[in-house]
Amino acid sequence: MLRRDLLRALAASIATSAALPACRRTRRTNGRTLVTLWFAYGGKNREVLLDLVRRFNASQSRVTVEATYQGDYFEALAKLRTAIAADAAPTFSHVVGEVVPYLARANVLEPLDAYDGARALPLVRALAQSGSYVGGAEQPLVAIPFNRSTPIMYLNGDVVARELGGKIPQTWTELESAAVQLTRRDGDVRWGFEVPISWWFWVAMVGQAGGRVVADDGTPTLGGAAGEKALRFWQKLVHEARVMRPPPGRDYNAWQATNQDFLAGRAAIVWTSTAFLRYLEENARFPVVAAPLPGDVKRSVPTGGTFFVVLRAAPSEEKQGAWEFLRWMCDADQTIDWATRTGYLPVSEPAIAKLDGNGWYAAHPNDRVAYAQLADADPWPWAPTLFRIQRDVIEPKLEEAILRNRDPHAVLDEARAEALAR
Amino acid sequence: MKPRARWHPWAMLGPSLALLVVFFVVPVVLAAYQSLFAWDMLTPPEAVGADNYRALMARGELWRIVGRTLGFSAMVVVGAMSLGLALAILLNRRGRFFAFVRGAVFSAYVVSWVAVALLWTWMLDPDGGIVAALFRGVGLPRVGFLTDTRFVLPALAAVTVWKITGYAMIVFLSGLQSVPPQLLEAAALDGAGPFARFRYVTWPLLRPTAAFVATTSLIVSFQAFDVVRIMTQGGPANATTLFVYAIYEQVFLNLSVGKASALTVVFFVVLFALATAQLRAWRARGSGAS
Repeated sequence: MLRRDLLRALAASIATSAALPACRRTRRTNGRTLVTLWFAYGGKNREVLLDLVRRFNASQSRVTVEATYQGDYFEALAKLRTAIAADAAPTFSHVVGEVVPYLARANVLEPLDAYDGARALPLVRALAQSGSYVGGAEQPLVAIPFNRSTPIMYLNGDVVARELGGKIPQTWTELESAAVQLTRRDGDVRWGFEVPISWWFWVAMVGQAGGRVVADDGTPTLGGAAGEKALRFWQKLVHEARVMRPPPGRDYNAWQATNQDFLAGRAAIVWTSTAFLRYLEENARFPVVAAPLPGDVKRSVPTGGTFFVVLRAAPSEEKQGAWEFLRWMCDADQTIDWATRTGYLPVSEPAIAKLDGNGWYAAHPNDRVAYAQLADADPWPWAPTLFRIQRDVIEPKLEEAILRNRDPHAVLDEARAEALAR
Repeated sequence: MKPRARWHPWAMLGPSLALLVVFFVVPVVLAAYQSLFAWDMLTPPEAVGADNYRALMARGELWRIVGRTLGFSAMVVVGAMSLGLALAILLNRRGRFFAFVRGAVFSAYVVSWVAVALLWTWMLDPDGGIVAALFRGVGLPRVGFLTDTRFVLPALAAVTVWKITGYAMIVFLSGLQSVPPQLLEAAALDGAGPFARFRYVTWPLLRPTAAFVATTSLIVSFQAFDVVRIMTQGGPANATTLFVYAIYEQVFLNLSVGKASALTVVFFVVLFALATAQLRAWRARGSGAS
């Protein structure tokens, strides 16, 4: 009898645990709803986010947000996707913009339209779902802007004042000649220009040359002639003028290398993210000057960074708790705190008005440049294949074209064929 | 020796067999099954037959990965074996100094891959690194070790050799110390010089040791991941996308479980073929010797 009872108990516990994922229960801690957040920041951004989470938890008694670090954007996305498949995902997380349409099509994101005040959030249009994507306003609201950014140009203020007479390059041609002037090959090597060989910057250059990487209907055009022009300009800087150092590594390793070269004085002008504004200002031993990316036939920048997304499979109470946190984060005070302490762009209009009114922008001209450049922001297409085109096709081809100096026309033809096959 | 009952050998083998089945056979069979689907773990899997293999073959991606990994392995195995053997011969002496040098060479083997890769990333920086300074000092041109597609794979192989040579050296040292001194004395009395003694006495006795070092170096080189992940992330232009990293990239960065599984199956076949060839070579040599 005893053995039979034991077997029955064992079978019941196995059945219960197997059934659990299908109906996840709301987790609770000290009488509050426990809401889990997976985030992808290290360093100072992590400290600031955890500080905001602490303040939110202390500001009310219904919800406790538990934030867990999950590596960089791509590592966090890989974990998130695996967790979704295993029905063990957090309540909410944040993902890069290119991934949002892909996750939305996979039907794993919670539509937020029906949540209290969701459609009335006073967000900066260029950074919100409605303005970040072509037709983003017509899609169900699934993404709330969080750490949004654009590419920006940073210059070593001392070097530019001394050797360029303070003149900041406004066009590709001016950028090239400035880089030639600033490059030093004897003694301590200094490169005139450096930028990670990455999709984001190529997209910016394609826009500046008058093209679009993906047509509004989602067809990957890869910029046509503008795409080739962007690659040719890049090749010229690396191989002919020899004024650009391609940073080692890929993804955020290359970005980090670019930052370090700039801070160490090995690169006089760099393109990187507005997200590094505060980091570079605080760690440089020279004045850091931020400027909009130079234009070719026009100025253009893509937006970047991440959006908060709530996972559809989470229990309703947890999703409601996550929403309360997101609303709180979009309040002017929190938006300002996050933006001014990290360098990311403020995502709400009242926050911008407040920063303008209290003299912040007057005292921090680099921040104003970052915000003003939003006028040149081009939206992404709402294309679920965008992420795959970026990772599978474009990133390796960019390196091939620039580092191996391959014919841009041939490289982009190959890339287009691969992208269309997806 | 006869077992008392017919099931006894199976009972002894059972635990190992179970582990082998759960952690090796089942994952390989699952990978082979999943390689026939297009799946991103979020949307339902879609049966695509052999399309994942065709896609890898059509663009030549598969052969490039195989060729790159074999090239990397060849550099690592040859480098670690020759350097390990040379150091073992040089340091096979008594005395505190030689003991210190042996310890110093071996220390690289016990340092974590992450630390080694970070250290060498800094040392190989073409502008600020020590290696670049040495190059400049002797009038050599600037080399982008980690950004030039011609140099990056040999650079990673060199770092791997630096890391594992200490281990090869220790194994060779134990092999050298097990060579009976009487044989070397007899050869010397017969007029054999140092090279002849090595060629006709030491090396034949070291062959099993060399085979062991070759096998372990081959395994390490085929499993190379950390060094790629930290130093190059598979770049530039996929020049360091070795097998294990390619699988990681497909499943975790590109979200293509089917393609990653297809690569895993091919990886298994390549390793199986290499292991079979190696076993046959040993057996042929063994039967020739008897």
